[in-house]
Amino acid sequence: MIIVPSIDKNTKRRLTVILAATCAVLQLAIAPNLPLFGGRANFMLILAALLAQLFGGRYGTVSGFLCGLFFDFCSTSPLGLMAFFLTVCSYVLGMEVRNKLADDTSISLTQFSVAAFAVSNAYALALVLLGGAGFFEALFARALPTAAITIACYLPFVMILSRNRQGFTLSSRRGSPSRPGRLR
Amino acid sequence: MATGRVTGSGLSGTTPSTGGRALIILVAVSLSLFTASVRSGDTGVLGALRGGFSAIAMPFRVAGSVLTAPIYGLGNIFANLTADQATLSELRAENEALRQRNIELEEKALLADRLAELMEIQSTYNLQSIAAKVISGSTDSWTSTITIDKGSSAGLSVGMPVVDASGVIGQIISVSPTTSVVRLAYDENSSIPAMIQSNRAQGILSGSASGGLSLDLVRSDLTVNVDDVVVTSGLGGVYPKGLPIGRVTSVERSAGALYLEVAVEAFSRVQALEEVIVITSLTDEQHASAEDIEEADAQEMSAVDNVPEVQTLAQPSDGDGG
Repeated sequence: MIIVPSIDKNTKRRLTVILAATCAVLQLAIAPNLPLFGGRANFMLILAALLAQLFGGRYGTVSGFLCGLFFDFCSTSPLGLMAFFLTVCSYVLGMEVRNKLADDTSISLTQFSVAAFAVSNAYALALVLLGGAGFFEALFARALPTAAITIACYLPFVMILSRNRQGFTLSSRRGSPSRPGRLR
Repeated sequence: MATGRVTGSGLSGTTPSTGGRALIILVAVSLSLFTASVRSGDTGVLGALRGGFSAIAMPFRVAGSVLTAPIYGLGNIFANLTADQATLSELRAENEALRQRNIELEEKALLADRLAELMEIQSTYNLQSIAAKVISGSTDSWTSTITIDKGSSAGLSVGMPVVDASGVIGQIISVSPTTSVVRLAYDENSSIPAMIQSNRAQGILSGSASGGLSLDLVRSDLTVNVDDVVVTSGLGGVYPKGLPIGRVTSVERSAGALYLEVAVEAFSRVQALEEVIVITSLTDEQHASAEDIEEADAQEMSAVDNVPEVQTLAQPSDGDGG
Protein backbone atom coordinates (compact mmCIF):
# COMPACT_ATOMS: atom_id res chain seq x y z
CA MET A 1 0.00 0.00 0.00
CA ILE A 2 1.13 3.49 -0.73
CA ILE A 3 0.98 5.86 2.17
CA VAL A 4 0.25 9.39 1.14
CA PRO A 5 0.69 12.10 3.70
CA SER A 6 -2.23 14.43 3.61
CA ILE A 7 -0.20 17.27 5.06
CA ASP A 8 -2.12 20.47 4.77
CA LYS A 9 -0.64 23.25 2.68
CA ASN A 10 0.31 25.43 5.61
CA THR A 11 2.16 22.68 7.43
CA LYS A 12 3.95 21.73 4.27
CA ARG A 13 4.89 25.30 3.49
CA ARG A 14 6.01 25.96 7.05
CA LEU A 15 8.10 22.80 7.15
CA THR A 16 9.70 23.62 3.80
CA VAL A 17 10.54 27.18 4.85
CA ILE A 18 12.06 26.06 8.15
CA LEU A 19 14.14 23.34 6.52
CA ALA A 20 15.19 25.57 3.62
CA ALA A 21 16.20 28.47 5.88
CA THR A 22 18.14 26.18 8.21
CA CYS A 23 19.98 24.38 5.44
CA ALA A 24 20.70 27.59 3.50
CA VAL A 25 22.23 29.27 6.55
CA LEU A 26 24.24 26.15 7.36
CA GLN A 27 25.44 25.91 3.75
CA LEU A 28 26.51 29.55 3.65
CA ALA A 29 27.79 30.05 7.18
CA ILE A 30 28.91 26.74 8.63
CA ALA A 31 29.94 24.44 5.78
CA PRO A 32 32.74 26.71 4.48
CA ASN A 33 34.29 27.09 7.90
CA LEU A 34 34.22 23.51 9.11
CA PRO A 35 36.02 21.32 6.59
CA LEU A 36 36.79 17.79 7.77
CA PHE A 37 39.30 15.52 6.03
CA GLY A 38 39.06 17.61 2.85
CA GLY A 39 35.28 17.42 2.66
CA ARG A 40 32.50 19.86 3.43
CA ALA A 41 28.92 18.98 4.21
CA ASN A 42 26.47 19.52 1.37
CA PHE A 43 23.42 20.85 3.18
CA MET A 44 21.60 21.41 -0.09
CA LEU A 45 21.79 17.67 -0.79
CA ILE A 46 20.34 17.10 2.67
CA LEU A 47 17.52 19.57 2.04
CA ALA A 48 16.72 18.14 -1.38
CA ALA A 49 16.65 14.61 -0.01
CA LEU A 50 14.48 15.54 2.99
CA LEU A 51 11.91 17.31 0.82
CA ALA A 52 11.92 14.46 -1.68
CA GLN A 53 11.50 11.89 1.07
CA LEU A 54 8.77 13.89 2.78
CA PHE A 55 6.75 15.03 -0.20
CA GLY A 56 8.18 13.41 -3.33
CA GLY A 57 6.61 13.95 -6.71
CA ARG A 58 6.85 17.22 -8.59
CA TYR A 59 7.35 19.17 -5.38
CA GLY A 60 10.41 17.10 -4.47
CA THR A 61 11.86 17.28 -7.97
CA VAL A 62 11.49 21.06 -8.21
CA SER A 63 12.91 21.41 -4.70
CA GLY A 64 15.91 19.33 -5.73
CA PHE A 65 16.54 21.58 -8.71
CA LEU A 66 16.34 24.74 -6.59
CA CYS A 67 18.62 23.24 -3.94
CA GLY A 68 21.15 22.33 -6.62
CA LEU A 69 20.97 25.80 -8.11
CA PHE A 70 21.57 27.33 -4.69
CA PHE A 71 24.63 25.10 -4.25
CA ASP A 72 25.89 26.09 -7.70
CA PHE A 73 25.56 29.77 -6.86
CA CYS A 74 27.47 29.20 -3.61
CA SER A 75 30.32 27.41 -5.35
CA THR A 76 32.66 28.45 -8.14
CA SER A 77 31.91 25.42 -10.30
CA PRO A 78 29.75 25.75 -13.43
CA LEU A 79 26.12 26.62 -12.79
CA GLY A 80 23.59 23.86 -13.36
CA LEU A 81 25.85 20.93 -12.53
CA MET A 82 24.67 20.26 -8.98
CA ALA A 83 21.16 21.36 -10.04
CA PHE A 84 21.16 18.52 -12.55
CA PHE A 85 22.35 15.92 -10.06
CA LEU A 86 19.98 17.01 -7.29
CA THR A 87 17.01 17.13 -9.68
CA VAL A 88 17.62 13.52 -10.69
CA CYS A 89 18.42 12.51 -7.11
CA SER A 90 15.24 14.10 -5.75
CA TYR A 91 13.14 12.49 -8.44
CA VAL A 92 14.54 9.06 -7.64
CA LEU A 93 14.21 9.52 -3.88
CA GLY A 94 10.66 10.81 -4.28
CA MET A 95 9.53 8.00 -6.56
CA GLU A 96 8.74 5.63 -3.76
CA VAL A 97 6.62 5.79 -0.63
CA ARG A 98 5.94 9.32 0.61
CA ASN A 99 6.96 10.37 4.06
CA LYS A 100 9.59 7.70 4.41
CA LEU A 101 10.98 9.59 7.33
CA ALA A 102 7.91 8.67 9.32
CA ASP A 103 7.64 5.24 7.80
CA ASP A 104 11.10 3.83 8.32
CA THR A 105 14.04 5.99 9.30
CA SER A 106 16.63 3.32 8.62
CA ILE A 107 15.45 2.90 5.03
CA SER A 108 15.52 6.67 4.58
CA LEU A 109 19.04 6.78 5.95
CA THR A 110 20.18 3.95 3.72
CA GLN A 111 18.68 5.55 0.65
CA PHE A 112 20.15 8.92 1.54
CA SER A 113 23.57 7.34 2.03
CA VAL A 114 23.42 5.76 -1.40
CA ALA A 115 22.24 9.08 -2.87
CA ALA A 116 24.98 11.05 -1.10
CA PHE A 117 27.73 8.76 -2.39
CA ALA A 118 26.21 8.70 -5.86
CA VAL A 119 25.80 12.48 -6.12
CA SER A 120 29.24 13.23 -4.63
CA ASN A 121 31.01 10.77 -6.90
CA ALA A 122 29.08 11.84 -9.97
CA TYR A 123 29.83 15.49 -9.23
CA ALA A 124 33.51 14.66 -8.71
CA LEU A 125 33.59 12.72 -11.97
CA ALA A 126 31.97 15.63 -13.81
CA LEU A 127 34.59 18.01 -12.44
CA VAL A 128 37.33 15.58 -13.46
CA LEU A 129 35.92 15.55 -16.97
CA LEU A 130 35.87 19.35 -16.92
CA GLY A 131 39.62 19.30 -16.36
CA GLY A 132 39.92 19.46 -12.60
CA ALA A 133 41.66 16.98 -10.35
CA GLY A 134 42.78 13.47 -11.14
CA PHE A 135 40.17 10.75 -10.86
CA PHE A 136 41.44 9.09 -7.69
CA GLU A 137 42.19 12.37 -5.96
CA ALA A 138 38.70 13.65 -6.69
CA LEU A 139 37.16 10.41 -5.50
CA PHE A 140 39.15 9.75 -2.35
CA ALA A 141 40.21 13.25 -1.31
CA ARG A 142 36.93 15.00 -2.02
CA ALA A 143 33.91 12.85 -2.88
CA LEU A 144 34.13 10.24 -0.13
CA PRO A 145 34.78 12.68 2.76
CA THR A 146 32.01 14.93 1.44
CA ALA A 147 29.53 12.07 1.30
CA ALA A 148 30.51 10.83 4.76
CA ILE A 149 30.19 14.28 6.38
CA THR A 150 26.92 14.96 4.57
CA ILE A 151 25.47 11.69 5.85
CA ALA A 152 26.60 12.57 9.38
CA CYS A 153 24.88 15.96 9.10
CA TYR A 154 21.73 14.33 7.72
CA LEU A 155 21.28 12.26 10.88
CA PRO A 156 20.08 15.06 13.21
CA PHE A 157 17.54 16.21 10.62
CA VAL A 158 16.09 12.79 10.04
CA MET A 159 15.98 12.03 13.77
CA ILE A 160 14.15 15.25 14.56
CA LEU A 161 11.71 14.85 11.69
CA SER A 162 10.97 11.21 12.43
CA ARG A 163 10.42 11.94 16.13
CA ASN A 164 8.03 14.74 15.29
CA ARG A 165 6.06 12.74 12.79
CA GLN A 166 3.04 13.16 15.05
CA GLY A 167 2.98 16.68 13.73
CA PHE A 168 2.01 15.36 10.32
CA THR A 169 -1.37 13.84 9.78
CA LEU A 170 -0.79 10.76 7.71
CA SER A 171 -3.51 8.74 6.17
CA SER A 172 -3.59 5.43 4.39
CA ARG A 173 -5.02 5.90 0.93
CA ARG A 174 -4.61 2.65 -0.92
CA GLY A 175 -2.62 -0.56 -1.01
CA SER A 176 -1.08 -2.01 2.10
CA PRO A 177 1.36 -0.12 4.29
CA SER A 178 4.82 -1.52 4.75
CA ARG A 179 4.67 -0.80 8.47
CA PRO A 180 1.16 0.11 9.38
CA GLY A 181 1.81 0.11 13.10
CA ARG A 182 4.18 3.03 12.81
CA LEU A 183 1.85 5.27 10.94
CA ARG A 184 -1.01 7.38 12.09
CA MET B 1 8.89 0.07 -0.19
CA ALA B 2 6.44 0.22 -3.00
CA THR B 3 8.77 0.69 -5.89
CA GLY B 4 7.14 1.85 -9.02
CA ARG B 5 3.97 3.07 -7.37
CA VAL B 6 3.84 6.76 -7.37
CA THR B 7 1.29 9.13 -6.06
CA GLY B 8 0.57 12.81 -5.77
CA SER B 9 2.73 15.39 -4.22
CA GLY B 10 0.63 15.36 -1.15
CA LEU B 11 -0.51 18.91 -1.53
CA SER B 12 -4.10 18.04 -2.15
CA GLY B 13 -3.93 14.32 -2.48
CA THR B 14 -6.20 14.41 -5.49
CA THR B 15 -3.94 14.66 -8.55
CA PRO B 16 -1.18 12.13 -8.66
CA SER B 17 2.06 13.61 -9.95
CA THR B 18 5.24 11.64 -10.39
CA GLY B 19 7.28 14.70 -11.19
CA GLY B 20 8.35 13.06 -14.45
CA ARG B 21 7.48 16.07 -16.56
CA ALA B 22 9.17 18.38 -14.07
CA LEU B 23 12.22 16.12 -14.15
CA ILE B 24 12.53 16.35 -17.93
CA ILE B 25 12.07 20.12 -17.97
CA LEU B 26 14.44 20.78 -15.06
CA VAL B 27 17.10 18.42 -16.39
CA ALA B 28 16.94 20.33 -19.67
CA VAL B 29 17.18 23.65 -17.82
CA SER B 30 20.10 22.37 -15.73
CA LEU B 31 22.02 21.18 -18.75
CA SER B 32 21.34 24.43 -20.61
CA LEU B 33 22.56 26.42 -17.61
CA PHE B 34 25.61 24.18 -17.33
CA THR B 35 26.47 24.59 -21.00
CA ALA B 36 26.00 28.36 -20.86
CA SER B 37 28.05 28.58 -17.66
CA VAL B 38 30.93 26.53 -19.06
CA ARG B 39 30.97 28.58 -22.26
CA SER B 40 30.67 32.03 -20.71
CA GLY B 41 32.59 31.42 -17.48
CA ASP B 42 32.00 34.11 -14.91
CA THR B 43 31.14 36.78 -17.41
CA GLY B 44 27.76 37.91 -18.71
CA VAL B 45 24.39 37.42 -17.11
CA LEU B 46 25.32 34.28 -15.18
CA GLY B 47 28.42 35.93 -13.77
CA ALA B 48 26.36 38.95 -12.72
CA LEU B 49 23.80 36.66 -11.08
CA ARG B 50 26.52 34.84 -9.21
CA GLY B 51 28.00 38.17 -8.13
CA GLY B 52 24.63 39.34 -6.87
CA PHE B 53 24.15 36.10 -4.98
CA SER B 54 27.59 36.44 -3.44
CA ALA B 55 26.77 39.97 -2.26
CA ILE B 56 23.54 38.77 -0.65
CA ALA B 57 25.30 35.84 0.97
CA MET B 58 28.10 37.96 2.43
CA PRO B 59 26.44 38.69 5.82
CA PHE B 60 25.83 34.98 6.33
CA ARG B 61 29.41 34.13 5.46
CA VAL B 62 30.72 36.78 7.87
CA ALA B 63 28.37 35.58 10.61
CA GLY B 64 29.46 31.99 10.02
CA SER B 65 33.10 32.99 10.19
CA VAL B 66 32.51 34.78 13.50
CA LEU B 67 30.39 31.94 14.90
CA THR B 68 32.87 29.21 14.05
CA ALA B 69 35.92 31.14 15.24
CA PRO B 70 35.46 30.00 18.87
CA ILE B 71 35.37 26.38 17.72
CA TYR B 72 38.88 26.78 16.35
CA GLY B 73 39.97 28.42 19.58
CA LEU B 74 38.25 25.82 21.76
CA GLY B 75 40.97 23.24 21.25
CA ASN B 76 43.63 25.69 22.41
CA ILE B 77 41.61 26.72 25.43
CA PHE B 78 41.10 23.08 26.47
CA ALA B 79 44.80 22.42 26.11
CA ASN B 80 45.62 25.46 28.19
CA LEU B 81 43.14 24.51 30.88
CA THR B 82 44.64 21.04 31.16
CA ALA B 83 48.10 22.47 31.62
CA ASP B 84 46.92 25.08 34.12
CA GLN B 85 45.07 22.60 36.29
CA ALA B 86 48.26 20.77 37.03
CA THR B 87 50.09 23.83 38.30
CA LEU B 88 47.63 26.63 38.97
CA SER B 89 44.40 25.00 40.10
CA GLU B 90 43.90 27.40 43.06
CA LEU B 91 44.25 30.47 40.88
CA ARG B 92 41.88 29.35 38.18
CA ALA B 93 39.24 31.98 38.92
CA GLU B 94 41.72 34.83 38.80
CA ASN B 95 43.40 33.38 35.81
CA GLU B 96 40.11 33.18 33.98
CA ALA B 97 39.77 36.94 33.76
CA LEU B 98 43.46 37.41 33.04
CA ARG B 99 43.36 34.77 30.38
CA GLN B 100 40.45 36.42 28.65
CA ARG B 101 42.24 39.73 28.73
CA ASN B 102 45.44 38.12 27.58
CA ILE B 103 43.72 36.40 24.67
CA GLU B 104 42.15 39.69 23.70
CA LEU B 105 45.48 41.49 23.80
CA GLU B 106 47.23 38.66 22.00
CA GLU B 107 44.64 38.81 19.27
CA LYS B 108 45.25 42.51 18.88
CA ALA B 109 49.00 42.04 18.93
CA LEU B 110 48.78 39.26 16.36
CA LEU B 111 46.56 41.43 14.21
CA ALA B 112 49.08 44.26 14.46
CA ASP B 113 51.90 41.85 13.58
CA ARG B 114 50.03 40.49 10.60
CA LEU B 115 49.20 43.97 9.34
CA ALA B 116 52.82 45.01 9.82
CA GLU B 117 53.95 41.97 7.83
CA LEU B 118 51.47 42.82 5.10
CA MET B 119 52.74 46.38 5.04
CA GLU B 120 56.29 45.05 4.88
CA ILE B 121 55.63 42.88 1.84
CA GLN B 122 53.69 45.72 0.31
CA SER B 123 56.62 48.12 0.66
CA THR B 124 59.33 45.53 -0.09
CA TYR B 125 57.82 44.65 -3.44
CA ASN B 126 56.36 48.11 -4.07
CA LEU B 127 52.90 46.64 -4.55
CA GLN B 128 49.95 48.72 -5.66
CA SER B 129 47.45 46.95 -3.48
CA ILE B 130 44.38 46.87 -1.27
CA ALA B 131 44.16 45.01 2.04
CA ALA B 132 41.18 42.70 2.58
CA LYS B 133 39.87 40.41 5.26
CA VAL B 134 39.12 36.73 4.67
CA ILE B 135 35.49 36.09 5.52
CA SER B 136 34.95 32.55 4.37
CA GLY B 137 36.58 29.42 3.06
CA SER B 138 35.42 27.35 0.14
CA THR B 139 31.70 26.61 0.17
CA ASP B 140 32.13 23.21 -1.41
CA SER B 141 34.59 20.35 -1.29
CA TRP B 142 35.60 20.62 -4.90
CA THR B 143 37.45 23.89 -5.07
CA SER B 144 40.07 25.54 -2.90
CA THR B 145 38.95 29.10 -2.58
CA ILE B 146 38.51 31.83 -0.01
CA THR B 147 36.11 34.76 0.00
CA ILE B 148 37.40 38.22 0.92
CA ASP B 149 35.43 41.25 2.06
CA LYS B 150 36.36 43.55 -0.84
CA GLY B 151 34.79 43.52 -4.26
CA SER B 152 34.31 45.54 -7.39
CA SER B 153 33.21 48.59 -5.38
CA ALA B 154 36.73 48.67 -3.92
CA GLY B 155 38.26 48.46 -7.38
CA LEU B 156 38.95 44.73 -7.46
CA SER B 157 38.48 42.71 -10.61
CA VAL B 158 38.88 39.16 -11.85
CA GLY B 159 42.46 38.07 -12.37
CA MET B 160 44.09 40.19 -9.68
CA PRO B 161 46.73 38.28 -7.69
CA VAL B 162 46.38 37.92 -3.93
CA VAL B 163 49.24 37.62 -1.46
CA ASP B 164 49.73 37.45 2.27
CA ALA B 165 52.79 38.25 4.33
CA SER B 166 54.46 34.98 3.29
CA GLY B 167 53.87 35.30 -0.42
CA VAL B 168 51.48 34.38 -3.16
CA ILE B 169 48.24 32.66 -2.19
CA GLY B 170 46.12 32.86 -5.35
CA GLN B 171 44.13 34.90 -7.79
CA ILE B 172 40.65 36.46 -7.86
CA ILE B 173 38.26 34.43 -10.02
CA SER B 174 34.98 36.22 -9.38
CA VAL B 175 33.90 39.51 -7.89
CA SER B 176 30.66 40.93 -6.57
CA PRO B 177 30.25 44.52 -5.40
CA THR B 178 31.21 43.63 -1.84
CA THR B 179 33.10 40.34 -1.99
CA SER B 180 35.60 38.48 -4.16
CA VAL B 181 36.39 34.79 -4.49
CA VAL B 182 40.08 33.92 -4.59
CA ARG B 183 41.25 30.66 -6.12
CA LEU B 184 44.10 29.42 -3.96
CA ALA B 185 47.40 28.29 -5.44
CA TYR B 186 46.80 24.69 -4.48
CA ASP B 187 43.44 24.44 -6.24
CA GLU B 188 43.73 21.88 -9.01
CA ASN B 189 42.77 24.49 -11.60
CA SER B 190 45.42 26.95 -10.48
CA SER B 191 48.50 27.64 -12.61
CA ILE B 192 51.10 30.23 -11.67
CA PRO B 193 54.18 31.01 -13.81
CA ALA B 194 57.06 30.45 -11.42
CA MET B 195 60.79 29.84 -11.34
CA ILE B 196 63.52 28.57 -9.10
CA GLN B 197 65.09 31.63 -7.54
CA SER B 198 68.69 30.38 -7.59
CA ASN B 199 69.03 29.28 -11.23
CA ARG B 200 65.97 30.97 -12.82
CA ALA B 201 64.62 27.60 -14.07
CA GLN B 202 61.14 28.40 -15.35
CA GLY B 203 58.03 26.32 -14.75
CA ILE B 204 54.34 26.39 -13.98
CA LEU B 205 53.21 25.97 -10.39
CA SER B 206 50.10 23.79 -10.29
CA GLY B 207 47.81 22.73 -7.48
CA SER B 208 46.21 19.38 -6.81
CA ALA B 209 43.17 17.95 -5.03
CA SER B 210 45.40 16.55 -2.30
CA GLY B 211 46.51 20.08 -1.39
CA GLY B 212 50.05 19.77 -2.75
CA LEU B 213 51.87 22.04 -5.15
CA SER B 214 54.10 20.98 -8.01
CA LEU B 215 56.38 22.97 -10.27
CA ASP B 216 55.76 21.53 -13.72
CA LEU B 217 57.57 21.96 -17.03
CA VAL B 218 61.02 22.38 -15.46
CA ARG B 219 63.54 20.92 -17.89
CA SER B 220 65.19 17.73 -16.67
CA ASP B 221 68.71 18.93 -17.55
CA LEU B 222 68.43 21.82 -15.08
CA THR B 223 69.56 21.47 -11.51
CA VAL B 224 66.88 21.84 -8.87
CA ASN B 225 67.63 21.07 -5.25
CA VAL B 226 65.49 20.48 -2.20
CA ASP B 227 64.97 23.73 -0.25
CA ASP B 228 65.38 25.89 -3.35
CA VAL B 229 63.04 28.86 -3.17
CA VAL B 230 60.28 29.15 -5.77
CA VAL B 231 59.22 32.65 -6.81
CA THR B 232 56.85 34.06 -9.40
CA SER B 233 58.44 34.54 -12.81
CA GLY B 234 56.24 37.43 -13.89
CA LEU B 235 55.47 35.74 -17.20
CA GLY B 236 51.90 36.23 -18.28
CA GLY B 237 51.70 39.64 -16.68
CA VAL B 238 49.39 38.63 -13.82
CA TYR B 239 51.75 38.12 -10.88
CA PRO B 240 54.59 40.53 -10.10
CA LYS B 241 57.99 39.04 -10.74
CA GLY B 242 59.92 37.71 -7.74
CA LEU B 243 57.17 37.19 -5.18
CA PRO B 244 57.93 34.24 -2.90
CA ILE B 245 55.69 31.18 -3.26
CA GLY B 246 57.32 28.30 -1.44
CA ARG B 247 60.28 25.95 -1.27
CA VAL B 248 61.13 22.74 -3.07
CA THR B 249 60.49 19.64 -0.96
CA SER B 250 61.39 16.92 -3.45
CA VAL B 251 62.79 16.53 -6.95
CA GLU B 252 62.32 13.42 -9.05
CA ARG B 253 63.91 12.63 -12.37
CA SER B 254 62.39 9.93 -14.52
CA ALA B 255 64.61 8.33 -17.10
CA GLY B 256 63.83 9.74 -20.51
CA ALA B 257 61.42 12.34 -19.16
CA LEU B 258 61.67 15.85 -20.54
CA TYR B 259 60.71 17.50 -17.30
CA LEU B 260 61.46 17.14 -13.61
CA GLU B 261 58.80 16.35 -11.04
CA VAL B 262 59.23 19.06 -8.45
CA ALA B 263 57.09 19.14 -5.31
CA VAL B 264 56.73 22.50 -3.59
CA GLU B 265 55.58 23.48 -0.12
CA ALA B 266 53.91 26.88 0.02
CA PHE B 267 55.15 29.47 2.48
CA SER B 268 51.60 30.65 3.16
CA ARG B 269 49.42 28.79 5.64
CA VAL B 270 46.11 29.17 3.88
CA GLN B 271 44.22 27.44 6.67
CA ALA B 272 45.10 30.31 8.99
CA LEU B 273 44.60 33.20 6.60
CA GLU B 274 42.86 36.24 8.03
CA GLU B 275 44.14 39.27 6.14
CA VAL B 276 45.43 39.41 2.60
CA ILE B 277 46.62 41.95 0.05
CA VAL B 278 45.13 42.18 -3.41
CA ILE B 279 47.57 43.50 -5.99
CA THR B 280 45.63 45.93 -8.11
CA SER B 281 48.25 46.87 -10.69
CA LEU B 282 51.84 46.11 -11.62
CA THR B 283 54.63 48.56 -12.22
CA ASP B 284 56.89 48.20 -15.26
CA GLU B 285 59.71 46.58 -13.31
CA GLN B 286 57.31 43.99 -11.88
CA HIS B 287 56.51 42.64 -15.33
CA ALA B 288 58.75 39.97 -16.82
CA SER B 289 61.43 41.67 -18.91
CA ALA B 290 62.09 40.87 -22.54
CA GLU B 291 65.20 38.95 -21.41
CA ASP B 292 63.07 36.84 -19.05
CA ILE B 293 60.68 35.97 -21.85
CA GLU B 294 63.57 35.14 -24.20
CA GLU B 295 65.17 33.00 -21.50
CA ALA B 296 61.90 31.11 -20.92
CA ASP B 297 61.51 30.56 -24.65
CA ALA B 298 65.09 29.38 -24.89
CA GLN B 299 64.58 26.89 -22.08
CA GLU B 300 61.46 25.52 -23.71
CA MET B 301 63.05 25.31 -27.17
CA SER B 302 66.08 23.63 -25.68
CA ALA B 303 63.82 21.03 -24.05
CA VAL B 304 62.14 20.29 -27.37
CA ASP B 305 65.44 20.14 -29.25
CA ASN B 306 66.89 17.72 -26.72
CA VAL B 307 64.14 15.12 -26.94
CA PRO B 308 66.05 12.45 -28.90
CA GLU B 309 69.25 13.21 -27.04
CA VAL B 310 67.65 12.86 -23.64
CA GLN B 311 66.00 9.60 -24.59
CA THR B 312 69.21 8.18 -26.00
CA LEU B 313 71.19 9.19 -22.97
CA ALA B 314 68.56 7.86 -20.60
CA GLN B 315 68.61 4.29 -21.89
CA PRO B 316 72.06 3.17 -20.73
CA SER B 317 71.72 4.90 -17.36
CA ASP B 318 68.17 3.84 -16.56
CA GLY B 319 67.33 4.81 -13.02
CA ASP B 320 70.14 7.29 -12.83
CA GLY B 321 68.97 10.47 -11.18
CA GLY B 322 71.22 12.57 -13.31
